[in-house]
Amino acid sequence: MIFRYLEVFSIIMFFICIFGLITCNNIVKSIIFALMMQTAVIMFWLTIGRGSIPPIIDNTALLDNTSYIADPLPQALMLTAIIIGISVTAVIITMLNTLFRKHLMTDWKAMEKAEDEAFKESLYGDHLKD
Amino acid sequence: MLTFFVIVPVLIAVLLYMLSTHKVAKFIAVFFQSALAVFAFFLVLSIHSEELTIFVGTYDDVMGIILYADALAAAFVLLTTFIFLLVSIYTLNQKESRTFWFLLFLLEAALIGLFFTRDLFNVFVLAEVSTVVIAVLLMYDRGKRSMFFGMVFLMLSVIAMQFYLLGLGYVYMMTGAMDMAYVAERITNMTRSELALPYALIMTTIGFKCALVPFFSWTPKVRVYPQAPTAVMAILSGLQIKSAIYLLLRFQGIFGVGASSELFLIIGIAAGLFGAFMAICQTDIRMILAYHTISQVGLIIIGINSGSYYSYIGGMYHIVSHAMFKTTLFLSAGIIVHSYGTGDAYKIRGVLKRMPLVAIGSIAAVLGITGAPLFIGSISKYFIAYDVPPLLNAATIIISLGTIISFIKYSYIFFGDSDLVGDIPVAERSRTIPTLILGVICLIGGVFGIWFIEFLFHTKVSISLIGYIQKSLIFAASVLAGLFIYKRFVKGNAFLVRFGAINFGFKAVCFSMSAFFAVILITVAFL
Repeated sequence: MIFRYLEVFSIIMFFICIFGLITCNNIVKSIIFALMMQTAVIMFWLTIGRGSIPPIIDNTALLDNTSYIADPLPQALMLTAIIIGISVTAVIITMLNTLFRKHLMTDWKAMEKAEDEAFKESLYGDHLKD
Repeated sequence: MLTFFVIVPVLIAVLLYMLSTHKVAKFIAVFFQSALAVFAFFLVLSIHSEELTIFVGTYDDVMGIILYADALAAAFVLLTTFIFLLVSIYTLNQKESRTFWFLLFLLEAALIGLFFTRDLFNVFVLAEVSTVVIAVLLMYDRGKRSMFFGMVFLMLSVIAMQFYLLGLGYVYMMTGAMDMAYVAERITNMTRSELALPYALIMTTIGFKCALVPFFSWTPKVRVYPQAPTAVMAILSGLQIKSAIYLLLRFQGIFGVGASSELFLIIGIAAGLFGAFMAICQTDIRMILAYHTISQVGLIIIGINSGSYYSYIGGMYHIVSHAMFKTTLFLSAGIIVHSYGTGDAYKIRGVLKRMPLVAIGSIAAVLGITGAPLFIGSISKYFIAYDVPPLLNAATIIISLGTIISFIKYSYIFFGDSDLVGDIPVAERSRTIPTLILGVICLIGGVFGIWFIEFLFHTKVSISLIGYIQKSLIFAASVLAGLFIYKRFVKGNAFLVRFGAINFGFKAVCFSMSAFFAVILITVAFL
């Protein structure tokens, strides 16, 4: 039964993270929220392994005791997902590091303003001036 | 055989990375690319008789990982290999380092894998791989790179993929399988309210990847920001967005949640109208093209969701034709911007005189995208609006009108005279020829459109002459109306430029992502 609670908890955590992403103004915190979101999804996946019939068992006599056996597939898949998540986060943090050295800020609003100005200058030129 | 389509690009990538000092390396790459395209051609031919299924690993049936090719996947793979062939010819003489080529071919492998795989978790992995590769490719140019857009793109994609993973968790919980066909089989017994949550979660990701309307502004920005290499822009607009549409088709097939097609019709119309309007507002030629990607995706989504068979075929063919003309336009825009040193549609003049071959390819593509008679766009637009209700028909005509207005602005660059000089005054042959080939295909695909459709999608359709002439008359009237509107309202309108420059930040896109999710969830569960 505890696993049901975990399932609900992970979904609540998922949506709290979305709320955090929408409201938080700091890039570092946004990255942390994205990571937490991944954690929530991984937790959800691990809860669904119980109670199903694992594909590794041939012997049907064992099936009465399935409550003792966890489905290994979600765990294997989540290992992949964790690795992907970590590597992508590493790339993002590297980029943020470079950006921080350039602008000396970790603020969405200020950084978007600074970057957008350069972007608009190069794309719209003097059409926006008058 | 299918595994080779995924493995060969990876091998080419590694080979190029090792042999990069030799001049032969690039020709080997082009050779293997053409071989791949030829094999894809024969794959499409052979799919006609039977579909191919290959089990990866020792498990078979639903437990294993399956590569699967039907007519749809084969057509997409042919498109991918062909466009990558032309793009690799295009980048042949550029001074790109080996990392660029390595990543380019890795992206091809990921896309082909995405089209062939029938395992839902593989879709997640390959989509993440292609996202990371694209983010690195976008910031490739070391001299002037800005990491900001790449970072925002990567973060948004990661967040969007978490929606997919959560939805996939629900699917696995309900069906106990990852295989598309098996999931579709098991899902038929379930009620709509049970399916609403996973469907909404997965569709949020796919809607984000298709650049549908609530997420509008990050897509063009990421595609066009001036530091990105031209080849990457072309592949992003021409191919990567098609992989998202492919997934949309697949998942609509799996879930079969019929009523949401009305919702997607509305979203498609909104995307079409909004993309066309934003394109009218732009002053940079690459931005015009990037916003048009959104409006054409809107048209495709109208086509595949309107419920009639002809419309579906039209939508499918529009995917092909959009890939053709958008790649042509981006490649030629890259040459033009290099040559003139600016992308301003009001300043560039006289492309036809300076680079006639590029201009001819480009004009063919412009005629294709506006749906001029005999060109590729006219066939697909004809079928999209073949037997749809009048309201939808009107929507497609208005979207076409918007396309025509912004391409009237675009077409001015071909004529007149200009003395702007940029990096290279004259285009190299290796860059001109792919553009010209694609331009010619825009014409051939229109004239022999019915044969193309029969070859790619294995269905026989016919075009009635009267209906086609009617469409051509509508096109002529739209051109006249477009000229009038352009001269009267659009040209030199500062308000429109200011409107076109608005964009969403990171937090706003996160908000629209959750709003999109909520709308789909409510529509599917309660309406």
